[in-house]
Amino acid sequence: MSLSGISEYQPKDYKSDLKPIWCPGCGDYSVVQGIYRALAAIGRPPHEIAFISGIGCSSRIPGYTTAYGFNTVHGRALPIAQGIKLANPDLLVLAAGGDGDGFSIGGGHIAHLIRRNMDITYIVMDNQIYGLTKGQLSPTSPKGRNTCTSRLGSLEEPVNPLLYVLAYGAGFVAQAAPTDLAGMAAVIEEAIRYPGFAFVNIQSPCVTYGEEAQQVKHLKTIAESLESIGHNPADRLAAMDLAQDYGNKLHLGVFYRNPEPPPTYGDLVKERQILMAKDAVPRERILDLFIKH
Amino acid sequence: MALRGIDPAKQSMMDALDLAILVEEEAQERYLEFALQMEQHRTFEAARFFRQMVENEAKHGRELAERRVQRFGAAPRTVTRAMLFDVEAPDYDAARAFMTPRQAMEAALACEVKAQVFFDGALPMLKDGEVHALFEELRDEEIQHQALVRAELDKLGPDSGLSDEDFVDEPAAQ
Repeated sequence: MSLSGISEYQPKDYKSDLKPIWCPGCGDYSVVQGIYRALAAIGRPPHEIAFISGIGCSSRIPGYTTAYGFNTVHGRALPIAQGIKLANPDLLVLAAGGDGDGFSIGGGHIAHLIRRNMDITYIVMDNQIYGLTKGQLSPTSPKGRNTCTSRLGSLEEPVNPLLYVLAYGAGFVAQAAPTDLAGMAAVIEEAIRYPGFAFVNIQSPCVTYGEEAQQVKHLKTIAESLESIGHNPADRLAAMDLAQDYGNKLHLGVFYRNPEPPPTYGDLVKERQILMAKDAVPRERILDLFIKH
Repeated sequence: MALRGIDPAKQSMMDALDLAILVEEEAQERYLEFALQMEQHRTFEAARFFRQMVENEAKHGRELAERRVQRFGAAPRTVTRAMLFDVEAPDYDAARAFMTPRQAMEAALACEVKAQVFFDGALPMLKDGEVHALFEELRDEEIQHQALVRAELDKLGPDSGLSDEDFVDEPAAQ
């Protein structure tokens, strides 16, 4: 940030030299632009940012961003992001992935980052399909969806990512879509500024294996800004009520922002370290504790 | 929603010019993204057309920027990119793998129509006579651009008859 409070960074400063190889028209192109814009508005230099992802089309995103990046293993973006944040508390840590990465194999990790209030922004590019592996049913695929692994239609109810994280007590929950890039950038910026675990679900259409109902044209017909309907983002129960519309309506904006965020896990760890340091044995005497004299 | 935080009725001439410049800038950037996507996927004819659109939008943007400087100098801009979205830029999913030049041109034509509708739709709300005249001019330019793209379309030979479906691999079951 400059002294005037205006960021010295432009979105292009976060764009890497690597050219995206997503299918033309993929929603992830808009997401990466939204992330560049949000990072520019935050104004942290690239070397103070770490971007961690799992596996999938959307998990390529750290490669397209100028920052520290780690394209990890399937479903494990969050534990790795957590380790990085705890070891480097000053880093701005973002995690990203798809709905399969986040809510199938990685689904068990989300709850624990939420209850610890890890200061990490988690961006899920939700396309309701496993696109990279050519169109299998994913955890957010609608019931009845016909794919190569559900030839007669899916028998399963989809996971509702918004309700999922709200139920675990996430302090910041929002949704965005390529139908409104400016709104998406604003929501990501707000998520990054939230002191704790922040979740942004982005409806990012798969143009190759997605159905017509998941494409931008249709999303525009069901999109509705939460601000325009007078939703109060401090009201968690109202947020849960609206989140139930997932799959039918596309509510855009902030569902929930905890008006009194609890301390982050990093803050608590720091406090504990200070407390323990008071009675701590000096480092050079630690070995003596294990030596019988 | 194409605009956020802008009340067309209260727009000054400077704001209107800045808005028009940003509209061109956004379209220019999106066409460049599309051109890069096409090049990455070796769809060079469509890429060439999108690069042509980049040049067109840049040229129009430069002309508007010159007018802005002549009239208002370096007065700080109050309209920002965060206040508009997709006024003239194509939707993100308007790009497709293996687009033919015809499909690329049709996507651009839809954008010129979209921009015309935007400027036309704003006209009844505008109270400032000068801003009204500018928006009429911008709308008319979009109509001219439509004619240019249609002329390009007319020059094309017939399509191959192949569709996207002909290029999509069969889904692989696990």
